[in-house]
Amino acid sequence: MINNTAFIFPAFITEYTNKELDFLRRNNIDIDDYIQVASQVIGEELPKFSYDSHDYKRGEFLSQVIAYLFSCAISDILQKSNIVPQITAGYSMGIYANLYAVNSMSLEDGIRLIKKAYELVNEISSTAEFGMGAIIGLTYNDVNKLITENQLDAEIINVNNEHSLVIAGKIKDIEILLNVAKEEGAFSVGKLTVKTPYHSKYLAQCASGFKDFVNEIHIQDAKVPVISTYNQRFFSDVKEIKKELVYNLTEKINWYDTMKKILEGNVNVFYECGAGKDLSKIARFIDGEYEIKTVYNI
Amino acid sequence: MAQITDDTRGEVKQIVLDFFSEECEIEIDDITEESNIIGDLDGDSLMFLELIEIFKKKYSLNIELKTIGKYAVKNPVQTIGGLIDMQMLIIEHENNILNL
Repeated sequence: MINNTAFIFPAFITEYTNKELDFLRRNNIDIDDYIQVASQVIGEELPKFSYDSHDYKRGEFLSQVIAYLFSCAISDILQKSNIVPQITAGYSMGIYANLYAVNSMSLEDGIRLIKKAYELVNEISSTAEFGMGAIIGLTYNDVNKLITENQLDAEIINVNNEHSLVIAGKIKDIEILLNVAKEEGAFSVGKLTVKTPYHSKYLAQCASGFKDFVNEIHIQDAKVPVISTYNQRFFSDVKEIKKELVYNLTEKINWYDTMKKILEGNVNVFYECGAGKDLSKIARFIDGEYEIKTVYNI
Repeated sequence: MAQITDDTRGEVKQIVLDFFSEECEIEIDDITEESNIIGDLDGDSLMFLELIEIFKKKYSLNIELKTIGKYAVKNPVQTIGGLIDMQMLIIEHENNILNL
């Protein structure tokens, strides 16, 4: 059987498998070399990586940086191993590593984009108390109904699968929504450790500033097509990449639809290019004949 | 409503053990009814949901996830044995589980 392969890139690392560093070492890669590059771009010495590092776990910016660096390192290994995908997708902030992996931009420019996006969204998160959360066990309609009935300033900003949703909005309303979702029969609810309502309506005001910055970045056509998590279109040219970078920051995304669209193309092997196995976990309720390889089993 | 027989618990137990062994990449012999789902096996709520879906199909159960969720919130399980017992109750009582 011929494998049709997709690379998928996570946004954050909720939990390390504790096998990532071994995997990198076996492939002669030191994550601290990547951290060194990031330090130079950011202009400050970033701490060395350890699984227990508070900085990389709790800091909203550094957690994005380390997720990006691991993803880039892992995609470098796959590339050296001549594993070539037919299609690629980045989950939320995973788009930056995705674009690095398809040779659209440099490791350094990915860091620059993450930094700029963080600065812009920080301006918004300083105007009010925002937050995000996850609800497992209710449907999209169930949660939307709860938002409407309780008149909450919250939105579903991503559908992971039929039973797993991500919400964003004002923190007080997020907390209320998580409580009523639990009462409604959600199996699990939880706040995410971010103070920014990523992908919500509040991010719309970042669009112009981020677009200007994206235009300053040297971006090339992707050597492998990318699928949009915003509207599930395929793209590879510079103009569309730039558009997608802005959509990806400021608009709602739908990972479930994105995965379904990839599967329509008969992809049967996914490589989760990143630390942890978050994307493998949320794929459980996405039907299809496929396997997801993580750093555990690459 | 599914027919519960003397063999049903054994069948349910085997499915649960096979499931966690595969999902958590742990040898089946290392999983016992006393194993803590989160602490020992690194399980999560999506696994629980997936198991319910497996049993829903296998026993053609008339259940709503929300209803099971409400029951699970009131009666949380921590161990594999507790999970097997809850699955037995779901199979036996379906959506009426909330009335227990």
